[in-house]
Amino acid sequence: MEAHFNGERPEIVGVTREINIEAVLAQQPDLILAAAQLSEEQYQLLSRIAPTVVPHAQPLAFDSWKAEARLYGQALNREAEIDDAIATVDQRISELAAAIDDANAGGTAVLARWMPNGPMVMSKELIATGLVAEVGLEVQDAGLVAEGHPHSDILSLENLSQVDSDWLFLATLNADGQAALDAAKQSAAFTRLDVVKRDQVVAVNGQLWSSANGPLAAQAILDDIENALLP
Amino acid sequence: MKDAVTSLSSAVSSASRRYAPRTWMLILLTALVAVSVVSLLIGAGEVGPRRVLGLLHGVSDSEAQFIVWELRAPRTLIGIVVGIALGVAGALLQAISRNPLAEPGLLGVSAGAAFAVALALVLGASAATLRISVAQLGALIGCVCVLSVARFRGVGNDPVRLVLAGAAFSGLLGSLTSLMLLYDQRAADEIRFWVVGSLAGRRLDDLVAVLPSLLVAAIAVVIMARPLAALALGERAASGLGHHPTLIRWVAVGCVALLVGAATAIAGPIAFVGLVVPFVARAFAGPDIRRTLWFCLPIGPLIVLSADIISRVVVAPSELPLGVLTALCGAPVLIAVVRAKRLPML
Repeated sequence: MEAHFNGERPEIVGVTREINIEAVLAQQPDLILAAAQLSEEQYQLLSRIAPTVVPHAQPLAFDSWKAEARLYGQALNREAEIDDAIATVDQRISELAAAIDDANAGGTAVLARWMPNGPMVMSKELIATGLVAEVGLEVQDAGLVAEGHPHSDILSLENLSQVDSDWLFLATLNADGQAALDAAKQSAAFTRLDVVKRDQVVAVNGQLWSSANGPLAAQAILDDIENALLP
Repeated sequence: MKDAVTSLSSAVSSASRRYAPRTWMLILLTALVAVSVVSLLIGAGEVGPRRVLGLLHGVSDSEAQFIVWELRAPRTLIGIVVGIALGVAGALLQAISRNPLAEPGLLGVSAGAAFAVALALVLGASAATLRISVAQLGALIGCVCVLSVARFRGVGNDPVRLVLAGAAFSGLLGSLTSLMLLYDQRAADEIRFWVVGSLAGRRLDDLVAVLPSLLVAAIAVVIMARPLAALALGERAASGLGHHPTLIRWVAVGCVALLVGAATAIAGPIAFVGLVVPFVARAFAGPDIRRTLWFCLPIGPLIVLSADIISRVVVAPSELPLGVLTALCGAPVLIAVVRAKRLPML
C-alpha cells in the first residue's frame, strides 16, 4: 500500500460519515471524490469548494466498489487504468479460487468482530465477505444480520456456536489482530468452538475488512485470504 | 408514576409491618434462591429450562453443561456480588450524606472508576489485576471530588444539589472518557465496555481478584454499623456517644469506593442499583441503617439478577447490556423519589 503514496501520505480530512470541511478547504482541492454515504448538506458545502463526485448511494452490496471505482476513474479521466485495476482484482480472484479449490482449503466462513462481551457477525454484503465468497468459500451470517445492516448486534456468548464454521475471520479495530485473538481466547465459550480447536481462526484488520473500499483494499483483503488459506 | 411509586412504597411498608423483619428476611432470601435458579435456567441461547433440568436427571448434554457451568453460573455469582456491593455502597453513601438520592452512579463514583480504567487502557495497561486497583482508585477520587465540591459550596445538606454536583462531575468524566474513545480507536472496543456495564463474558478470575478488597470493605462495614447508626442521631449525639463523625464519614467513603470500584471493575458501571436497593430496603427495615444494611444483602442481588435475566431474553439471540436496562428502570424511580411529596429525611 505504501508504494502507492510515493512516500507521501495523504492528509486525512475526516471519516466517511463526517468530513471536516475546513480541513478540505485547507487542501485547496481541484476535485473532490467523496464516499457514497456523504449527506446532502455536506455535498452542498463541498461542491462550493470544488467539483464534488459522489457515487449514487446503493443498498449495501459486496460488488458496489467496482462501480464506485469506475466513477472516480471517469472523474479523473483515467478510466482505462481503473478498468485495468479491477480486471487485475478479478483475475487474482479466479486464480486464488482455483488454488484454494486445488488445495481443498475451502468450506464455510464467517466474518465476525470480537467485542469484550461477545462477537458481532458481519454482513455477507461487505466487500471483504464478497471477496471471500468469490474465491470459493461459503460465507455465512447465521441469519443474524438484518437486511441492509453491516453487522449484527453483539451475539450472546451462549449462541457463540452459531459462528462456528470452517474458517472464522476475526476482525478487530486493534492494529494488532493477534491481540484481539488472544483476548477472545480468554473466553471459554470461544475456545470450545471447533474452528478454534482446528486453529482456523484468522485475525484480520477490522478497518480493512469492514470499512475499506476500492481495488487496493480488495488486493489487500485477497492478500490476507491467501496468507491464511494457502500458507 | 409518582403516585404509583408512593403508593407502592407505602404498600410495601404497610405490608412489611404485617410480618416481623425476620420473616421478611426469610421471604427475600427464598426469592433470591429462586431467582438464582432461574438465572441458571434461562439465557439468550437455545439451552432452556428443560435441558438444564435434564442435567439433574443425569442426561449427558455437554452443550447444556457448558452453558450452565461456564457461562450462567459465573455471571450469576458475579451478579450476586455486584448486587451486594452496589446495594451496600448505596446505603452507606445515603447514610453519610444524609441524602436519600445519593447513589454511587450519580455521585461520580462509577464515572470515576470507568474514567480511570479508560485512561489506564489508553496509556497501555492491559493487565486484568491492574484494572481492578485502577477502578477502585478512580472510584475513590470521583467520590471524594463530588462530596468535597458539594460541601465546599456549602450545600452539603441539600439533597438535590448534591445530586446536581454529582451529575455535573459524572458528565465531565463521561465526556473525557468519550474523548479518549475518539482519540484512541484501538482501545475503543475495550473502553466501550466501561461506558455501559454488563455481566456477560465476565470471568470468575475477575471476581477472585476483587475478593480481598470486598473482604476489607465488609469488615469495615460491620465495625462501622453502630457508629453510623449513632451518626444518624446527629453529629453532636454521635460525638457524645464517643464516635468521631469525620472519621466515620471518611471510612465510609473508603468503603463505598472499595465496593463500587470492585463492582465496576468486574461488571462495568451499572447505574441506579445503589439508589433503588437502599430505597426498597428501607421500606422493609425502617430508618435504622443497621437493619437497612442487612436487607440490602438479599435485595441487591435480587434486583441485579432479575435485571440480568431480563437483559438476556428481551433481544435474544443478542443481549442487552445490563447497564442500559438498570438505567431504563432506575431513572423513573429517581424521578419519582425526587417528586414524592416528602423526601425521606435520613
